[in-house]
Amino acid sequence: MRKTKAVKPPREPITWKKIKKHRFVYAMLLPIAAYFIVFSYYPLALGLVNSVQDVKMLGGATFCGLNNYISVLSNPLYSQAFINSLIVGVGTFMLQFVWGLAIALLLNEVRSKVLKSVIQSVTYIPYLLSWSVVGGLWMMLFSPSGMVNGFLDMISRGDFQPIVFMSEPQYARVIMIFTGAWKGAGYYAVLFLAAIVGIDPSIYESASIDGASRLRQIFQITIPNIVPTMKVVTVLGAMGVLRNFDQIFIMGTSSILDKVRNLLYLIYTQGITQFKVGPATAGATLVLIGTLIISAVVRKAIRYDDTYED
Amino acid sequence: MRKKNPLENRMNLPQRFVCWLLLGFFFLIMFIPMWNVIVVSTSTILESSASGIKLWWKSFSVEGYEYVFRVTKLARPFLNSLFVSTVATVIQVVLSAFAGYVLIQRELPFKKSITSFIMLTMMIPGDLTLISVYQMNKQLHLLNSYTGLIVNGLISGFSILLMRNYFTSVPYSLAESARLDGASELRIFGQIYLPISKPGLATVFFLEFVGKWNSIMLPATLITDQDKYTMPLMLRAMILNDASQSGAAQTPNNAIMATIVISTVPLLLIYVFAQRFLLSGMTLGASKE
Repeated sequence: MRKTKAVKPPREPITWKKIKKHRFVYAMLLPIAAYFIVFSYYPLALGLVNSVQDVKMLGGATFCGLNNYISVLSNPLYSQAFINSLIVGVGTFMLQFVWGLAIALLLNEVRSKVLKSVIQSVTYIPYLLSWSVVGGLWMMLFSPSGMVNGFLDMISRGDFQPIVFMSEPQYARVIMIFTGAWKGAGYYAVLFLAAIVGIDPSIYESASIDGASRLRQIFQITIPNIVPTMKVVTVLGAMGVLRNFDQIFIMGTSSILDKVRNLLYLIYTQGITQFKVGPATAGATLVLIGTLIISAVVRKAIRYDDTYED
Repeated sequence: MRKKNPLENRMNLPQRFVCWLLLGFFFLIMFIPMWNVIVVSTSTILESSASGIKLWWKSFSVEGYEYVFRVTKLARPFLNSLFVSTVATVIQVVLSAFAGYVLIQRELPFKKSITSFIMLTMMIPGDLTLISVYQMNKQLHLLNSYTGLIVNGLISGFSILLMRNYFTSVPYSLAESARLDGASELRIFGQIYLPISKPGLATVFFLEFVGKWNSIMLPATLITDQDKYTMPLMLRAMILNDASQSGAAQTPNNAIMATIVISTVPLLLIYVFAQRFLLSGMTLGASKE
């Protein structure tokens, strides 16, 4: 594709006249550039500076080298938070992926337009809601008097003791993974469905004439054809693994926090609530680096960059 | 037209049955929790705290809604959220259109550096610079202020890219000939590009409004004053039953569910009106460009 592009004309030199001609365009750029400098680049620089400083509560800071990084890397709270983030993040992604794919494949078999859009809307709506809504909703469902316990009571038929799900550490991660996937499955379904709709219908027609069953077409035409979308979804998902905050901020009750406290939540409590600015910014920088590493590894593993080369 | 064709391309009957069964399961697992919220929010306090499966009303009552407006004083956070999200989104749409327009200029000197200057900000996620964002807002005296809530996250590389993509679909020759006719740059932008890109503007508006309405991390960082609470913060205070924050010792179940319904209504309205924009924006965001 790329090779067929027209040859670019030789670059014209930048002249004062040309700059003057675009003065209106530069004026438009002014507020945007100012904004990005103040609200994107300045915090980044401030973070890097603070991460190598010992910041005092009452102002004043002294250079302390990599001490903050060392204290973060040797702090068991951070390593536990890293493990929690990884387990909940990867688990949520995998469940959400399979769930969304299943919804998309099944919806593609629905012929009634009305039913299709109703089901798509209902499965997609949770993605639109904030975590305080989704968290509040599921915390009620998982409460001792909630519907999950009501359901368990119904099928147990004996004397049933309601389970206090939100204070049982053993269920904590499963609940986070499930609710996370519940919120996002419809979004992935939309992405997959958009890819499925884009597949050339003549492929199905000829397969059908050759006698391939519909089920076989799903596995041998539909799924292979949406692999590029799956890769995009995987790379985007990998970038989000370490960056979950809202869910735990809402649903992380004190009794289960040890099992689910993730990196951003820890950084937030350390930096904002306890004012340990140095270690918190060092931790945030490490999360940024970790995210870059994870997405690079995932890109490599799924051969992301090869897909569009041909 | 549905032909009765032996080669009709669909699943056989048992397969279709399984398909509907699975789809029904997925539908119910999404639908029942949301339905339950509606039922509990419109039940009496007594009914809403009783155990069991609540999928239909035993007693209909709006006392949960009365409670949140009388005791929790939910009107304030609701209006806070509405004000902050609307103002911020309008400004964001305008500025994204500006930046998008800048990025499609063909002969603009330094365009490459400008593009990478904007693209690089997408690599700096706001949630990872949180502590510095807090400090910066403190320096600018933006903590506990509406301005702080509006200004932070006001421009995103994503919406700029979205606008740029819409603008590239406008034939460049149109702008070129207008320029030859002596039209000012402002007129070209306002009378050629903006009208054609209405769907793009709508997409950015809805996507960003949803994002700002739902935002938790930023208000949680900037706001400690309860008068400036946004809906998500208020809801969290109610859920976690923080007596010092919500004022009441224990918020009844139906009141919490009523709050959930109230903070969801604006999003559902948006979804109904803007479904096609939202969905196209979502898929656009995940395309490989």
